[in-house]
Amino acid sequence: MPVETQELADGRAALDRFLRGVERRALRMAELTTGQRDEALDLVQDAMLAFVRNYADKPAAEWPPLFHRVLDSRMTDWHRRQQVRGRWIGAWFGRRDDDDAGDPLAEAPDLREPGPLARLVDADAGAALNGALAALPLRQRQAFLLRVWEGLDVAQTANAMRCGEGSVKTHLWRALNALRSALEEHQ
Amino acid sequence: MNARDDRRDDAPPEWTAQARELLDASADALDGATASRLNRARQRALAARARPARRWWLPAGAATMASVLLALVVVNPLTRPAPEPAIAVPALAAGGADDAELIVADDNLELAQDLEFYAWLDAEDEHNG
Repeated sequence: MPVETQELADGRAALDRFLRGVERRALRMAELTTGQRDEALDLVQDAMLAFVRNYADKPAAEWPPLFHRVLDSRMTDWHRRQQVRGRWIGAWFGRRDDDDAGDPLAEAPDLREPGPLARLVDADAGAALNGALAALPLRQRQAFLLRVWEGLDVAQTANAMRCGEGSVKTHLWRALNALRSALEEHQ
Repeated sequence: MNARDDRRDDAPPEWTAQARELLDASADALDGATASRLNRARQRALAARARPARRWWLPAGAATMASVLLALVVVNPLTRPAPEPAIAVPALAAGGADDAELIVADDNLELAQDLEFYAWLDAEDEHNG
């Protein structure tokens, strides 16, 4: 096999492994944003296509934040379209999506305690976490999922979310407090 | 360190490890149909890399370039024949050309002056004769 063809095959295999490893989490993230599996699948497929076309030639170490940057962009666009549609039809399901509303720092609990999921059995904990995550504003949820679930560091998360590192920390802090409050209410 | 100071701590709190496990479990629990659709989406994306986007602009670009070249050849002033003069100048015959040359040559001015001199001599001879 010619060297060029072999390199192409190796590159495709590496891309396949990367996408296979990230696709399920990507779908769950998109699903938390859209609330619908079909819409989420469309977003993930669109993100995969755009990622492969634009970033496949980048070093593999850079793929995770780049893929999530593409996916985050798609989810943000979807979210904006929904907001515009929601304004027109006057229905926004009561979801508060203003990251600046209120100051959760004022009543922040001590994060070194065992945690709000500790007293829930797995099935309840999963449903409670899912509901609490879905209720978070988009940016807070993304900061939480990218930092906590994907394991991106602050700089990579900032790159994926196209914002500053300080914003990532603020979004994450608010997400952690909102999740803790929501999960404690669930108990 | 109080809770407010924790805002600048980069590490997520320990309880998020359980959240991560729950999220992993939810991703692993996707049904077969959804997993299949994800697989097809991935294969389509990978195929897009193997088959680069069609360069639809190539034929259009080639046609445009050909038109431009054709236009340059047709209207290029370097390749056009010299324009006809507004007033036709009659071609000079070989003899006429010689006459013109005689007229404008410096020697012929002296000859004309000599002719006047000879004419004066003739007139003087007749007058004296």
